[in-house]
Amino acid sequence: MMHAKGLLKTFNPGTPIENRVLRGLDLHIETGQFVTVIGSNGAGKSTFLNAISGDLLVDSGSLHLDGQDVTRQNAWQRAGLVARVFQDPMAGTCEALTIEENLALAWQRGERRGLGRAVKAELRELFREKLSILKLGLENRLTDRIGLLSGGQRQAVSLLMASLKPSRMLLLDEHTAALDPKTAAFVLELTDQVVAEGKLTTLMVTHSMRQALDHGDRTVMLHQGRVVLDVSGEERARMDVPDLLAMFERTRGEAITDDALLLG
Amino acid sequence: MSLISLMGALEIGLIFALVALGVLISFRILNFPDLTADGSFPLGGAVAAIMIAGGQSPWLACAAAMLAGAAAGWVTAWLNVRLNILQLLASILVMIALYSINLRVMGAPNVALIGSPTVFSPLIGEVSERAMWVQPGVLAAIVVAAKLLLDAYFASQSGLAMRATGANPRMARAQGISTNRAILTGMALSNALIALGGALYVQTQGGADISMGVGTIVVGLAAVIIGETLIPSRSLWVITLATVLGAILYRLFIALALSADFIGLQAQDLNLVTAVLVGLALVLPTLKAKLRKTVKGNPA
Ligand SMILES: Nc1ncnc2c1ncn2[C@@H]1O[C@H](COP(=O)(O)OP(=O)(O)OP(=O)(O)O)[C@@H](O)[C@H]1O
Ligand SMILES: [Mg+2]
Repeated sequence: MMHAKGLLKTFNPGTPIENRVLRGLDLHIETGQFVTVIGSNGAGKSTFLNAISGDLLVDSGSLHLDGQDVTRQNAWQRAGLVARVFQDPMAGTCEALTIEENLALAWQRGERRGLGRAVKAELRELFREKLSILKLGLENRLTDRIGLLSGGQRQAVSLLMASLKPSRMLLLDEHTAALDPKTAAFVLELTDQVVAEGKLTTLMVTHSMRQALDHGDRTVMLHQGRVVLDVSGEERARMDVPDLLAMFERTRGEAITDDALLLG
Repeated sequence: MSLISLMGALEIGLIFALVALGVLISFRILNFPDLTADGSFPLGGAVAAIMIAGGQSPWLACAAAMLAGAAAGWVTAWLNVRLNILQLLASILVMIALYSINLRVMGAPNVALIGSPTVFSPLIGEVSERAMWVQPGVLAAIVVAAKLLLDAYFASQSGLAMRATGANPRMARAQGISTNRAILTGMALSNALIALGGALYVQTQGGADISMGVGTIVVGLAAVIIGETLIPSRSLWVITLATVLGAILYRLFIALALSADFIGLQAQDLNLVTAVLVGLALVLPTLKAKLRKTVKGNPA
């Protein structure tokens, strides 16, 4: 379960480039729910995800993960609760380390790291097994540096890393945006599989309305740092891309008029 | 070059292998440009010299020197991660502060250790000619032990976390690694090794001198760069090996250059030679790549 209440975040406050990115964002996600997030560029989607992961701390508001108040916790303190895949395939893995070393890092996400060997024989076996699910032949390349893999392969490994250990929240920020259509489809399919298997509470940002409706069981739209649209269940099942697009345009227009009213 | 000067160069090369391993941790693994070495090397020397002169066991003196070095590295890291002072600047601050501290520790600009016991003296005994073999031998054992321990550490969970911290801090944090703690630990480890180098240095040189740290960081960096140029590799145990060899080769090269009378180099030209050497090592990979291209470009 994730509960965000009244999140505020302003970049460069008090300067000419002041940017109020989150403006009182409320969102409640039940355990096991898979939510897709849409919204135009600069709507605050990535900022919201960074606030959940702890990559940045909000100015005010509160954030609970499974009843735990994590509002003031750093990213590394929350890592046991939150797993994520970044948009940039380079960001989620360590290029200079091998595939097995990257997986070993993820295997201990949020745990104490001691002086024991990071990659043990039995772990290697487990990694091989998990990698074979990807059907990319990576199970035979455990000691290859991850920098040698293609973007799609790295993203698939990132996803595997994010699901290696149970988490309360899986964050996916346009994690297929940097991939070619075929690879993107493959990684998305893998995402559905991983989420279903782990019954993971998931937040997936995408720019594709199609993806937003086809995956998950609820869709929210962010605009100017707030949730302006929230559809699920029957209503969502009956929706098609044009409907969503129409709502997207309508709410955007309304939000703008709202602001105009407030200002006027 | 005489055998004595050859063994002397090997000896100093081995001492600087420890320094180079320390520099490898800060510059390469943590990605933390750290100049503390110029202060932590003489700090190790000062602590060891004062303790040995005071009648303590030389091994205990080495351990104390490492602790002192670790503290220095920790302070540099702390200035950076807690007070957000730029890495280079933080290390310069500590380096400057250490100059005063080292003088305080020694109580005078130099401390003589002539005739005092050292980690080598039990093996040398009464036969002073043995020193030529014993000193490099003991040093080699220490360097090999340090290298193997480092390799083991960097294959451990905590060591892997440190490598991830240097390579991709955001990813490291997302995996629950406290990057701040990793940097503090790593910098302490790095400067402990450098201080150990200083502690052993004063025991081979028969005393400590306040100016003994000048240029330590450049020599350490030179060794790292020479190592990675001669044996380029991604695997960590090869990298540590290359670093050790780089330090030894560097000192041998310097000894050769200085002993060849026809070149006319003198001890004071050392820094110039170092700069040229590091410069060469830096352009070598680009030159190699160019050469390969030219060869491929003109199939015979
Ligand atoms: N660290 C930062 N410092 C200053 N401004 C930032 C920072 N991060 C984001 N912003 C700004 O915040 C706004 C929202 O950015 P955010 O990345 O959350 O948008 P987004 O909804 O993810 O957009 P996109 O669809 O383009 O990814 C943008 O105007 C961006 O320039
Ligand atoms: Mg974004």
